[in-house]
Amino acid sequence: MKTIRLLFAFALLGILAAPLHAAPKKKAGLNLFCWSEYVPQEVIDGFTKETGIKVNVENYASNEEMLAKLLAGGAKYDLIQPSEYTIEALAKADKLEELNLANIPNIKNLAPEFTKMPHDPDGKYSVPWMAGSVGIVVNTAKVKTPVKGYKDVFDGSHKKRIVVLNDNREIVSWALSFLDHSVNDITPETLEKVKPVLKEWLPQVKVYDSDSPKTALLNGDVDLGIVWSGEAAILFKKNKKFQYVLPSEHAHRFIDSLAIPKGAANKENAEKFINYILKPEVSVKISEAFPYTNPNAEARKLLSKAQLENPASYPPGDPKLETFNDIGKLAKDIDKLVTDLKGK
Amino acid sequence: MIATTPVASEAPSNQRRPGFLGWLLMAPMLLWLVAFVVVPTAILFVYSFCQRDELGQVVYQFSWENYRRIFIDSDTGQFGTVYWTISLRSVIYAALTTGVCLLFGYPVAWFIGRAPERRRNLLLTLVMIPFWTSFLVRTYAWITILSTEGLLNSFLQYTHLISEPFEMLYTPGAVVLGLIYNYLPFLILPVYGSVEKLDNTLIEASFDLGAGPLRTFQRVILPLTWPGIVAGILLVFIPAIGMFGITQLMGGGIQPTIGEVIQNQFLQARDAPFGAALGMTLVVLFIVVFWFTSRRQRIA
Repeated sequence: MKTIRLLFAFALLGILAAPLHAAPKKKAGLNLFCWSEYVPQEVIDGFTKETGIKVNVENYASNEEMLAKLLAGGAKYDLIQPSEYTIEALAKADKLEELNLANIPNIKNLAPEFTKMPHDPDGKYSVPWMAGSVGIVVNTAKVKTPVKGYKDVFDGSHKKRIVVLNDNREIVSWALSFLDHSVNDITPETLEKVKPVLKEWLPQVKVYDSDSPKTALLNGDVDLGIVWSGEAAILFKKNKKFQYVLPSEHAHRFIDSLAIPKGAANKENAEKFINYILKPEVSVKISEAFPYTNPNAEARKLLSKAQLENPASYPPGDPKLETFNDIGKLAKDIDKLVTDLKGK
Repeated sequence: MIATTPVASEAPSNQRRPGFLGWLLMAPMLLWLVAFVVVPTAILFVYSFCQRDELGQVVYQFSWENYRRIFIDSDTGQFGTVYWTISLRSVIYAALTTGVCLLFGYPVAWFIGRAPERRRNLLLTLVMIPFWTSFLVRTYAWITILSTEGLLNSFLQYTHLISEPFEMLYTPGAVVLGLIYNYLPFLILPVYGSVEKLDNTLIEASFDLGAGPLRTFQRVILPLTWPGIVAGILLVFIPAIGMFGITQLMGGGIQPTIGEVIQNQFLQARDAPFGAALGMTLVVLFIVVFWFTSRRQRIA
């Protein structure tokens, strides 16, 4: 009895302590593999209601996690949501299906600057979902000096009051911008130049967080952040003291898109879904839930004035924005550089 | 079953080799071990000598490169790298956690194990109730408590115990606190198991023979509950070394632990072979720890 009780206790502990991962289902319909917190349930329900196609959703938290699962498991997914540099890498390795644009007439709603972008020059493989940038959030109640760029964030007066994304490529790209290099100018030589800059910067950071950098800002643990624009837009909506600034040096723009992995079983359903989310009235719902930059010109006409004036969603002026290229094996050198600096 | 019972009573069971039925009963456990321990470890072992391609897929081409990166600094060519510093830090965190868990967990386990039998179930349930909530939710609750404008700082300021909020979250102290909170039950349960089995008459005999409470604890109670303590230490120390969730959420990821670095290899850096090599090195470290503690156990 005693042993049984103890075993039971352990079993209970084990079951409850271990997060359970559901295995991906292999059903007809549409197997959507997308970012967590990015596709509103309302949109999925609306799609099923209109077309009768059942959608199975599985989430990931980074492009790299998506790649790892996609490449390990063959073609279980019908539709994925990679960012620009991941699309480039997947297309290079012949892992994406070409889209049949005849099935996606609503593609005409996209703003012209969001078509035929460098990562997919012919627009063959991907359709943009939302775009965003990485910039600086300033708690203006605490920071009174003007913050315009990375050099102001790391000028030494905000020591241990800074949250940044826990993403090594991002961190390196800020230092590259600071040195007036392109964010894609990643070579052993430029990394050598980046090193002393980051050596100065990283000890000033209080928190590294990619999932929810807004938490540390909201809780008052830090006054400044270098974060995703969507996080900044949510902060701004909560309290106007959180101002979003695109760094004067350069800023990284990311374009999250929909694409169909090679060998997808339900390619036509995936194209129907892409066509569905390109409808202005559907696209607006996505903007409401996740206030990133909507690439859909027709949908933007339906947005409210407050939404369009949120500087984190639609930065005013003509900021210097750059997208990431695929860097292949150099990801390893970046990881080594940042780990070395953080570890010591 | 009925047929085997008389046989079992004839011969001492520990001298009998397991029969067909024994193997059948063992089969699920063996399958489990093969599928979730042996095979994954073998995969890691093979990966650790491979390379990655442009997309981060594993290329099966033999190389010592990953192990060289762990042991030899590529810049200076000397023995010793940043991964050692990081591992040492993780071991220190884990050792602190284990020590504090033992300090607090042992008395609790003792109390539960010595409580009246009908109350033990209730007390054990109380130990485990926090685990009915998800790990992430519990950790976020700690963030709410410890942050600069959080519950604890607000309370201390409200009661005028402090004038300025002090920084608790995103410090090494917060990491160890989070680890202790999460691993304490893993120490209490095995110790409880050995305390419960402890024969009261042995303690009485010790007192009757003139030993004081301290001596009784040292000479009778401690040796008899030692197996539970060792099991508890292993259950806390080893997972605590590899933990990455708490260190990231409560430590702010400022000083990475080895668990975070390994996780990064499989996700951000897409360098599974290097992650596998780090993992294999840790496995060897664990085996050494296990061997060391089981040797101590035999001496005791």
